[in-house]
Amino acid sequence: MSKNVTINFSVNGERETRVVEADLSLLTFIREQLNLTGTKEGCAVGECGACIVLLDGNPANSCLVLAAELDGKELLTIEGLARNGELDRVQKAFIDHAAFQCGYCTPGMIMSARALLERNPSPTDADIDEALSGNLCRCGAYQEIREAVKSCSRHNGEGRIE
Amino acid sequence: MPSFAYRKCTNLAEAFKLLKEDDRAVPLAGGTDLTVGIRGGKFRVGALIDIKDIPELNILLADRDGITIGAAVSLNRIISFGPIRENVPILAEACHCIGTYSVRNRATLSGNICNASPAADAAPPLYCLEARVNIAGPRKKRTVSIEAFFTGPGQTVLQQGELVTSVLIPRPYPAGKGVYLKGSRTGSVDLATVGVAVQRRGNEVRIALGAVAPTPVRAGSVENAVNKNGETDWAAAARLVRDDISPITDLRGSREYRYHLAEVLVRRGLEQVMEG
Ligand SMILES: Cc1cc2nc3c(=O)[nH]c(=O)nc-3n(C[C@H](O)[C@H](O)[C@H](O)COP(=O)(O)OP(=O)(O)OC[C@H]3O[C@@H](n4cnc5c(N)ncnc54)[C@H](O)[C@@H]3O)c2cc1C
Ligand code: FES
Ligand code: FES
Repeated sequence: MSKNVTINFSVNGERETRVVEADLSLLTFIREQLNLTGTKEGCAVGECGACIVLLDGNPANSCLVLAAELDGKELLTIEGLARNGELDRVQKAFIDHAAFQCGYCTPGMIMSARALLERNPSPTDADIDEALSGNLCRCGAYQEIREAVKSCSRHNGEGRIE
Repeated sequence: MPSFAYRKCTNLAEAFKLLKEDDRAVPLAGGTDLTVGIRGGKFRVGALIDIKDIPELNILLADRDGITIGAAVSLNRIISFGPIRENVPILAEACHCIGTYSVRNRATLSGNICNASPAADAAPPLYCLEARVNIAGPRKKRTVSIEAFFTGPGQTVLQQGELVTSVLIPRPYPAGKGVYLKGSRTGSVDLATVGVAVQRRGNEVRIALGAVAPTPVRAGSVENAVNKNGETDWAAAARLVRDDISPITDLRGSREYRYHLAEVLVRRGLEQVMEG
């Protein structure tokens, strides 16, 4: 059995083919081989959520996934949200609500929030807390983060996210 | 040089063949136990055989036998599956106690029981629901009861080369309320210090506990007192749980604290499901 695996996938909309070592984590692959360093490593054991990316639209802790498992999947990272230099709504909402201090948890928070708003455009506070349960913020910006996500809810009459 | 090989399978025959080729090959489902365990040096593996894309393992259905949960189905899918929420909400409740939303997006029920932690949160409700574990190997299939499945900490009846294909929650579903009470050090992510499932079935009750013995266990003494002897003093019934468990001291709690917590949670569970 091969210890090198060929993977076909898309990253932020671009198709790619790579050969990866079987034991390489998706997180390390994203940061060191795709050179997308927006995705962060906090704990590397699935507890902090700094490494969360979307695989086929679903949040995944990239430290718990192998790069080899990316074959056939669509990967979305924080770098893939802005369009033509313009930040997406969730990113803007985080800025408007000052939903961070150091910013280390922010990419993971925004990816989890994006996925939530896709599956549920009008989340309640409880829905938001559930969706962000795997994202820790050591600066304690939770209140502002919840407000930022809530401001993107369809309930606010601001329409849907792009 | 990578420390292990990886192969994604799209059918069972291929998985059995690969598992046979290397006696250090293991199945990979959500990877939430495996990746952490490999990196921490707890597991040494030769190859990971990814079973998530095998169609038969992705079934989630309710029919006249009961609810069949394929081995590759994520905990989040289980939690939001209508027939589970309606008929056996205790299972959804316990699965919801596992990790965080993003962990539950990948983690599976079968992975939880195959990892065989005595604290596996999905196990106590499966005991109360008398779940059946469907196992397949290269030559034959077999079904074992969930209680026969666990044989020790990290150990199950599975032999090298065998896979759990699904877990069945058999009909008839319990008529009555069920609760899963998890005692842990923090309100957020932590393994159970003690986990207690209490499920009413008509006038009877089934009780099972995690993290208090080498495997999850049924509280036979408490069940007997309530079901056979008609005990309705829930505190008195709960005290008997001490005869059913053999906890140890570890970083999550001392042996004595676990005895105490088990008794308290069994009493609360009885009060919640047997009254009203
Ligand atoms: C941050 C975090 C928090 C967690 N919190 C909890 C918690 O609160 N409670 C809890 O109980 N657990 C918890 N866990 C552990 C873990 O998430 C669960 O045990 C999960 O259900 C495992 O499923 P998996 O699909 O990820 O298994 P994997 O990691 O893929 O596999 C686990 C084991 O089972 C074997 N296996 C998997 N599927 C099969 C199969 N079909 N047939 C045969 N063998 C198989 C694998 O070879 C491996 O040995 C946590 C994990 C993390 C990372
Ligand atoms: S780095 Fe992945 S969860 Fe912390
Ligand atoms: S803003 Fe610093 S960790 Fe969240």
